[in-house]
Amino acid sequence: MALEGTLRDMSLSDLFQVFRMGPKTGTLCLACADLRAIVYVAAGELIDAAVVRFPDRTVIAAHDEAVIQMLLWDDATFVFRHDPSVLHRPVRIRHNAEHLVLESIKRRDDLRSMLPYHHVTLDTHLQLSPLASGRESSVSLSMQQWRILSQVPHHSSVRAISKATRMPSDQVIRLVLELMAIGLIEIAPALQLAKQPLHHYEMAVTETEDRAPHLAWAASIHANGQAGVHERRLPVKRSLIDAVMRRVRGL
Amino acid sequence: MQILKIVITGPYAAGKSQFIRTISDIEPVSTDYAVTLDEERALKRETTVALDFGTIAINDRLSLYLFGTPGQERFSFMWEHLAIGAIGYVVMVDSCRPAHFPETQRLIARFAEITDAPFVVAANKQDDQAALPPSYIRRRLGVPAETPVLPCVATDRASVKQVLLTLLQLIATQVQD
Repeated sequence: MALEGTLRDMSLSDLFQVFRMGPKTGTLCLACADLRAIVYVAAGELIDAAVVRFPDRTVIAAHDEAVIQMLLWDDATFVFRHDPSVLHRPVRIRHNAEHLVLESIKRRDDLRSMLPYHHVTLDTHLQLSPLASGRESSVSLSMQQWRILSQVPHHSSVRAISKATRMPSDQVIRLVLELMAIGLIEIAPALQLAKQPLHHYEMAVTETEDRAPHLAWAASIHANGQAGVHERRLPVKRSLIDAVMRRVRGL
Repeated sequence: MQILKIVITGPYAAGKSQFIRTISDIEPVSTDYAVTLDEERALKRETTVALDFGTIAINDRLSLYLFGTPGQERFSFMWEHLAIGAIGYVVMVDSCRPAHFPETQRLIARFAEITDAPFVVAANKQDDQAALPPSYIRRRLGVPAETPVLPCVATDRASVKQVLLTLLQLIATQVQD
């Protein structure tokens, strides 16, 4: 069993955040064209890494630089496997993951490809990430990044932040993506759904004269959702739900 | 005979059939067929193309019915039929396959269009130490804070019970005697 995907499904910066949250221990293997890479993760910290070119197995980067190289890849497959033996490996990476992410950002022109599943526009609403416990103290933010971060609790939309800081919107979006990449802010979930549901939720229990389960089953998936000839809909009482909860607890 | 219905939904190979199999009183009624698409066959050999059905007998007069929806989006026309009359639903997601998150987001949005019944998200396969934590899955799916995102192991009865109990507690807050 393993965590698997592509960097389009989940960015390397997100993976590093998840390793810290766990904290996780194991090996992260990546493949990008003729390049193969490995990152060793011990108790959530990156401790060693290498990038190798195949088929001649030439090491083209190691340690901190290897991680930065990987962070510049937009399309690669990855597999992360838990491996407690990594805890016994020597530490060869000098900087923490957030520092390396910020270093890689300096080498990128387009940050959108770094977080392809996050669509930040002027109407995007932001919030401080609840995942960032204590991490802010180990990250050196630029003055502009601090300006954006300080506005998030007061002006949740990117448009409002741009207006409040008097910074151009494209610059604000880039800074927002930078702060998202190191896990300090995140997109706020939509509070209200855009569309009204087709069916207003009505607590109902179906009462049927049929005692045979298969007949009751057929009744309960009645195509148009209306009660059948031998069934009727009754309001659900709290005592009914309590009875179900007691039964489930006792299973 | 009184019947309450809960729907177990989620994308392909999220563990819906296993969830029902783990908790149902009866051998679940499943309509699994051989997988035809190559990318789906890489995940499992058989898939639920119609639905899974399991029951929990509460007492002589009351049963809880569990319906598992087909995971593939091409069968989404069935979701509405299954959701009607449900007192709540569970959205299952594989915690080791971030590639399934966009489909899960679309599924959550579609169900919200169909019904405003309460729901919980079950982050399955949490017994894998490499699995993504529920807090990250909440963030990626954009699930609001008031909707529980729960760790789940669909093969473990205690875990499945906890997911169902959390959903039932959510439902109970909306019911008056």
